[in-house]
Amino acid sequence: MYDTNRRVETAVTPDDIKIQARKVQVYYGDKHALKDVDVDILDKTVTAFIGPSGCGKSTFLRCINRMNDTIPIARVEGQILLDNEDVYDRRVDPVQLRAKVGMVFQKPNPFPKSIYDNVAYGPRIHGLARNRSELDGIVEKALRGAALWNEVKDRLQEPGTGLSGGQQQRLCIARAVATSPEVLLMDEPCSALDPIATAQVEDLIEELREQFSVVIVTHSMQQAARVSQKTAFFHLGNLVEYGDTDDIFTRPRDSRTEAYISGRIG
Amino acid sequence: MPLSWAIFASFLLAAAGYIIGRSRAFASAGPDVRKLHSRPTYHGYSVALTALFPPLAVLALAGLLRMAGVLSAEAGPVVGLLALGAGVVGLGLGVTRIGQQFQARNAVERMVLGLLMLCSLIAIVTTAGIVLSLVFETGRFFQVYDWRTFFFGTEWTPRFQGNSQLGIVPLLWGTLYISFIALLVAVPIGLFAAIYMSEYASGRVRSIVKPAIEILAGIPTIVYGLFALITVGPLLRDYFAQPLGLGNSGSSVLTAGLVMGIMLIPFVSSLSDDIINAVPQSLRDGALGLGSTPSETVRQVVLPAALPGIVGAVLLAASRAIGETMIVVLGAGAAAQMSLNPLEAMTTITVKIVSQLTGDSDFNSPETLVAFALGLTLFVITLALNVVALYIVRKYREQYE
Repeated sequence: MYDTNRRVETAVTPDDIKIQARKVQVYYGDKHALKDVDVDILDKTVTAFIGPSGCGKSTFLRCINRMNDTIPIARVEGQILLDNEDVYDRRVDPVQLRAKVGMVFQKPNPFPKSIYDNVAYGPRIHGLARNRSELDGIVEKALRGAALWNEVKDRLQEPGTGLSGGQQQRLCIARAVATSPEVLLMDEPCSALDPIATAQVEDLIEELREQFSVVIVTHSMQQAARVSQKTAFFHLGNLVEYGDTDDIFTRPRDSRTEAYISGRIG
Repeated sequence: MPLSWAIFASFLLAAAGYIIGRSRAFASAGPDVRKLHSRPTYHGYSVALTALFPPLAVLALAGLLRMAGVLSAEAGPVVGLLALGAGVVGLGLGVTRIGQQFQARNAVERMVLGLLMLCSLIAIVTTAGIVLSLVFETGRFFQVYDWRTFFFGTEWTPRFQGNSQLGIVPLLWGTLYISFIALLVAVPIGLFAAIYMSEYASGRVRSIVKPAIEILAGIPTIVYGLFALITVGPLLRDYFAQPLGLGNSGSSVLTAGLVMGIMLIPFVSSLSDDIINAVPQSLRDGALGLGSTPSETVRQVVLPAALPGIVGAVLLAASRAIGETMIVVLGAGAAAQMSLNPLEAMTTITVKIVSQLTGDSDFNSPETLVAFALGLTLFVITLALNVVALYIVRKYREQYE
């Protein structure tokens, strides 16, 4: 149904489980927003979360790096293991966790600083560079990684907010990559971008997979089919189906999944 | 006939016009009201306004002529009758316009627009009038007193026998010194309170704390002055100035500055809170998502984004501080002197304006006229501050909307 063979898949060791979620429940006040989510996210793999609006896919994504902690009424139950350590354990500092689990948001949100300072932000607060030249190296590597270096190398001191929408989003990806995370969470990273910028970001996601595990929430099923190896379908707060992207889009087991990918619900 | 009667009568005329206009419109419509372009009510408004504007215009014109000295006070009854006549003519004109085709709705719209424009014009003209009167009196002052001595003189010793020294420098020094101390108190406290309210406090705490801080803004400045006079001043003198040997004056720059700073806290905190809240949540999420702590997020992302607006808020607070009078009179005293010691009594421009204009004085002597020159100087300083503040605030707004 969808073109899933556009890219040659790079080899993955399927046994490397990076994130293991068990019986995850999320409540917003009285509302039970996410019910009994069990999922294993593999290392060096792109995992796509699809589903209609309000189905809980972004909520689950925000559980992984504990961004839901910033919402006062949100409550999370269950277990999310990152490398076999519970991220909701009392001893885990969410600030340290978020340095390991980077995040790219729906709308490009560059800081009101220069392009250089945007990318250097993470390395600076986490002390990843010992001196200026090391920091320069990290910034250049991150910008190259985000396929932005050639466009901005001559104007690193100009404000990041002056870039175009697609460039801003790649700047935000570079900013996340510069902190050298182990997992990168992307919450509808292309929804504010035009098709050309979207294609650039999708190419980027494919490259990032070589370094770490990428989890992407998307409304576009074509995008999920293009970029991901694993797909999870959420509906009304439930994880309905999780499996290889090819299987989900060609041989869905659940009738709700089939209805969604063929456009009958959602 | 007093003029107030004329005003009252023209409003009566307008009310009558509304009733007449409305019923005439019904009559001209015949059995089907939908044949009218505008609903009868609009015809009523149209007649009422055409009956109201001419007499008010006549009265306003007469008032202006009276001020210019062309008209004497005895012309009152004539003016009143003229105004009433204009009202009747307006009413007649309004009534004859009624008909199925007359676009009363649009006519009312135009008249309302005119009224709104008139009101904003009055505000601007009044400001210009105040400035002009200041400029005029200041001109008279500089005819009898050398402007160089005024602007550069470091002595302020007015004597009503003449031969006064009227240098603005000590007053300007006092004004700036006290304002500086006030901002030194208000800016950090106000800003930190704003950061707490907008970034850390829960919704419930914020809904209690913010109005509580804003109560400070509602206290009359004379009450702050009393507080300075009977509490802060003696306290500073007994426990600070005298033990340290820095003076024994109850009123001091520090007293006025501290109390004025407390007065300014709500200005800074309330404005800064609004500005910090206007920083998009996505920026905070971005910083937190990279593993910053809340305070790193505030320091490195939120405050830089809000900085232009905060500077604007501080400048607005500064212009309040410079124009403040009561707290200074009661807190800092009235001695015009220049000193670096914050525990000595000093005074400000505003206080001296008051003291030069109170009491029996000849309105042509330089000792009195100097008040206008002081006022104009003050006005120019606060105007400049306000312009800079508004410019910065506006530039900031463009960034996020």
